[in-house]
Parts: sequence; structure tokens; C-alpha cells
Amino acid sequence: MNLLEIKNLHASIGDTKILHGINLTINRGEVHAIMGPNGSGKSTLSYVLSGRDGYEVTDGEILLDGESVLEMEADERARAGMFLAFQYPVELPGVTGMSFLRAAVNARRREAGQDEVDQLEFVKLVRAAAADLGVDNEMLKRAVNVGFSGGEKKRYEILQMSLLKPSLAVLDETDSGLDVDALKIVSDGVNAQRGGDCGMLVITHYQRLLSHIVPDFVHILAGGRIIKSGDKSLALEVEENGYAGLVDAA
Amino acid sequence: MPHKLSEIISWPEQREKAKTYFDSYGWPDNRNEAWKYTSLAHLKEGKFTASSDSAPIDSAQVIDSAAQLEGFYVEISGSAVQLPPQDALPNGISITDITADDNARAAAFTHLADNHLLPALSAMHQTSAIAIDIEKTDSAAPLPAVILNLTGSNKEGACYPFVIVRVHKGAEARIAEIHSSHAGLSCPLMVYEVADDAKLQHIRLQAEASYTTHLGLNQMQMGKNSQINSFAISMGGALSRLETHSLFLGSDAELAQSAIYLGRDRQHHDITSFVAHEIRDCASRQLIRGVLDDKARGVFQGKVRVAPDAQKTDGQQMSRALLLSRDAEADAKPELEIFADDVVCSHGATVGELDENLMFYLKSRGIAEEDARNMLIDAFLVDTLDEIEDPDFAAFMTSQINRWSLARR
Repeated sequence: MNLLEIKNLHASIGDTKILHGINLTINRGEVHAIMGPNGSGKSTLSYVLSGRDGYEVTDGEILLDGESVLEMEADERARAGMFLAFQYPVELPGVTGMSFLRAAVNARRREAGQDEVDQLEFVKLVRAAAADLGVDNEMLKRAVNVGFSGGEKKRYEILQMSLLKPSLAVLDETDSGLDVDALKIVSDGVNAQRGGDCGMLVITHYQRLLSHIVPDFVHILAGGRIIKSGDKSLALEVEENGYAGLVDAA
Repeated sequence: MPHKLSEIISWPEQREKAKTYFDSYGWPDNRNEAWKYTSLAHLKEGKFTASSDSAPIDSAQVIDSAAQLEGFYVEISGSAVQLPPQDALPNGISITDITADDNARAAAFTHLADNHLLPALSAMHQTSAIAIDIEKTDSAAPLPAVILNLTGSNKEGACYPFVIVRVHKGAEARIAEIHSSHAGLSCPLMVYEVADDAKLQHIRLQAEASYTTHLGLNQMQMGKNSQINSFAISMGGALSRLETHSLFLGSDAELAQSAIYLGRDRQHHDITSFVAHEIRDCASRQLIRGVLDDKARGVFQGKVRVAPDAQKTDGQQMSRALLLSRDAEADAKPELEIFADDVVCSHGATVGELDENLMFYLKSRGIAEEDARNMLIDAFLVDTLDEIEDPDFAAFMTSQINRWSLARR
């Protein structure tokens, strides 16, 4: 069975149609990149997949592990194995990192019929995962994302991903706002979770992220449709010639 | 709220003045700008209690939880007063019943607002009067806290306790007010005189009965280079108004004053504050937060006055209300009156629902809707508790907020 199947997906925000029939299949262990110019519908796709309110699917189907997710709320989709790394992670003043991470991990464990992790064990678990991503203890003590730099926020997203162990990870412009060093740390964190059962959808405007997280497949999104698919060389082609030629040819 | 620094007049005169005032003005109605959002119509009709449909707060529980605060307890229940024996008190703390001492009562009223409902009610009806004096000691250890348990059991009656706390030059006081009255009308008046170089750590919890009308006034008077760190929670009562009047009487004083109101069912909470910067080089910082569920209503009125001579004043005020239901309502009226030209003052007021962006972020991590809501409501309140300097006081107020949150679910 495919991990994710998107069939003829049409979606709108209010009266504005953004996605005009997307077809995409992701298997376990595969990394797919979606590239596209501004306004092509990249972020909309990530929000429609993760179940954000206000994004209406007008036609088509999204299947995760063969089950339709369209009737599922965002939290149900997350517990079913979907994860969205935000382009702009929000600040949560008053919500401490540890209690937030524990609530998220335990919600997923309960769904899977597993026991909740106890507090002590959890702290060990988080510290180990955090150390690999260069997230220090000070950051874990603070309120979620409050006072974090752009790079710290992105590392924190990947930390959540490594703790939640999703079956499908959607990374929305994870490279935006990152300098070269931060990009490397974040990419290493993502690559560490590659392989096995996790499928990934990496959404990006630029090729540079894809030289760190090398995709198995690249799709070009323009005007709410996938206009071309290929392997990693397609990303280099975009880097070389821009989107204009591809969009015109389509 | 016009303030006048009046000279001491005798207690009988003070009472006479109050009666004359009340006879002419009576209970204010909403044509009175200061009472635009809070109606005292039931008092006008001669009824003390109001109806909130709210589950009654168990005052025994409130007092039990206050017992976790370490310190010396002053029990005030209507006209019955129980003080800790003076020989049990450490050096530096003395507590006196001044109910029969007219001179002491008159002196304590010196800086209170003239022609104002709450001081007038107190002068007319005072059921008890206590003076607490905190003096600087040679010991480096901080003085223990004084905990005021203000109760009352007569649903048909009213209580008007009066307490003056004098923190003398260079001293540091820790005072907690726990209001758990079951009286129909509860009108506590507290005066805090914080002298030069003195410091006050202060918390106030209002957790009165579900039918009680609470009209409280806390007056803060600050000497040169003094500091006040104050935090109030209003969560009980049917209709509750807390007025704080803060007066700077010397330069280089700092006031940090926060308040939270928590409303559900048909409760009405009103926080009305007046900060008077009369003297230069003083700072005030106020944080007000409210959470309103069901058909509850919250009011914040905050006036900051900066007199012409009060240059280099730093005055900050921020109020935020969170509405959890479509039938809840919040009103905010921030007012800045600035007559000096070299000051830094800011204020802001917001009223809103839970932020959809934050909700989506939590839900996208698998946290269910209801859990996500509760996390954000708790966070909205807990975020303010960093304002409390004293760790014991902070722990106590945190436990009160948690208790309210759990009861709401």
C-alpha cells in the first residue's frame, strides 16, 4: 500500500481556488521535493494535507495508509502519523517546552495503544534527541519558540519530528531564514530520520536545501498543478534556468 | 477619581463627611462615568447579594489552601477580630486592633480619595480596624508574611473591614490578603503606606461566595525610593469590583501591580485602577489579564495620571482579556492623562478569543482540541505569574489559578 496518495486534489480558501487537481504518490522511505514559484500553492498544499481550518477540499482525495484523511481534524491526522514542520513556527508564551513535547508525544502514544512516557524517562529521551540537533537545555526550559532565533525555531521543529516519529513528514520551506550552518544542522537532523518507514515531502522555493536533503523525486508546482516531475536533476535545472521556462512550457 | 491630600480631620468629622456625601450621591448608576460598566442597581434596591449562577466556592477550601502560606494569621470575620499574640510576633512586626481608636483611624484616612464611594462606605460602616506596623530589623533574614483572612458568614449582612499596613523606612513587608467572605456585601478597605526605601510584597486573592457583592479598595502610598510588587486574583463573588489607588509621594519609587480576573457563569468582575504620578522619576508597570467563560463579564478601567512636575515618569499598562464563549463580554477603558513632557508612557488593551494559529500549531502535534484550549488558557494566565517576586506567594497564586482551571473543565 502507498503511504500517501493524493488524487485529483482541488482546494480553495474561501472563494479562491488554489489547487487545481494534484496527483502525487509517496511510498515509505521516499523523499519527494515540491518546488515552485511564489503563489503556486506550495503552502496551501501543506495546510490542506495537515488539516488546517479554512482550507476546503472541493474535489479529490487524500489517503494516508489507504485511509481517507479528509474527514479528520488536524490533531487526528497528526496522531495518525502526519507531521508538518512549519515555515513560521508560532510562539507559545506560557507553554513550557517539556510539557508541550510530552503532551504531543503522549497523544501519539495513546493513539497507538502504547503507555505514556513517564516524566523522568521523557526528559532523558528529549535531552538525547536535542543534543543531536544542537538544541541546548536552556531552550528546552523556555516557553515554546519564545525568544528563539529563526534557526532555533527550525531546529525545534525537527526535534519535534524526531520525537514524534511520523510516518509522513511535510517540511514547509524549512530552509527559509536559515544561514548555511543552521541549514546543515537542520538537514542532518532530517537525514537522520530518512529511510525506514518515514516518507517525506520537502517543500521549497530554492534548490539549496535539496543539495543537503537529496530527494528521490522532484515535482514542480505551478498554478495549483504539478507541471513536471523528475529526479534530483530537475531541481538543478530550476536552479540553472528558473521557473519561467518550465511554467511557459506547461 | 479626584485625589486630594487632605489634612487629618477627626474621625467623627470624617464619618459626618462620608454621610453627607452618601446622602447626596447614594449608590452610583451608569450615568456616573466611573460606574459605566458595573451596575450597583441591586444595592440601590436595598439588596446586598447578586446572582451569578456560579458554583459556590468552598471557603473552607480557600482557607485550607491559604494555610500553605507560612506566616502569621490575622482573622477578621465581620466585627470579630483575632490577632496573633504580640509576644508570638517577631521583632519588627506589630499588629494592633484600632477599632476603638478614633485618632488612629482618622490618621489612616489622610490620603484616601475625597468624595468617593468606597472610602465613604468604610468611614460610615467600618466593622473592624487593624493596624499592622512593619519595621526594619537588624536581621538579614526577611520577616515572615502576615496573612489576612477576611471572612464573613452572614448572607443577609455586610462587612466593612479596614486594615492599614505601615511599612516603615527601609523595612520589607510580605502581606497576603485572602478574601473568602460569605457575607452579602463585602467592602474591605486596605491602605498600604510604604515609607522611604521600604518594600512591599503583596498578594490579594478574592474567592468569595457565589452571591457576594465585593467592593474592595486597595490604596498604595509610596515614599521615596520605595518598591511595591503586588498581584491580585479576583475569581469569586457574583459582582466584584477591585479598585486600586496608587499614589507616588516620593521620587524613584517603583510599582509593579498585576491583576487577573477569572469569570464564569454570570459573574461580573471589575478591576479599576488609578495610578497618580505626582512626583518625578517614578515607574509603574501594570499587567491585567482576564479570562471569561459562559456569560461572564469583565471590566478593566485603568487611569494613569502624570502631573506636570512628574518628569521622567515611566508608566506602562497592558490589559488583555480572553473570551472563551460567545456570550462573554469584556470592556476595557485605559486612560492616560499626561501633563509632563519628558515621560515614557504606554498602554494597550486587547480583547480576543484563543488564537487560531496557536490552536492549529498544537493540534498539528496531535494534541486534541480541548486539551489544546486548556493549554493555551493556562498559558495565558501562568505567563503573568513571573511578575510575582516572592516565591511562596508565586506558588500560592499558581495553585489558585490551577484550581480555577480544573474546576472550569
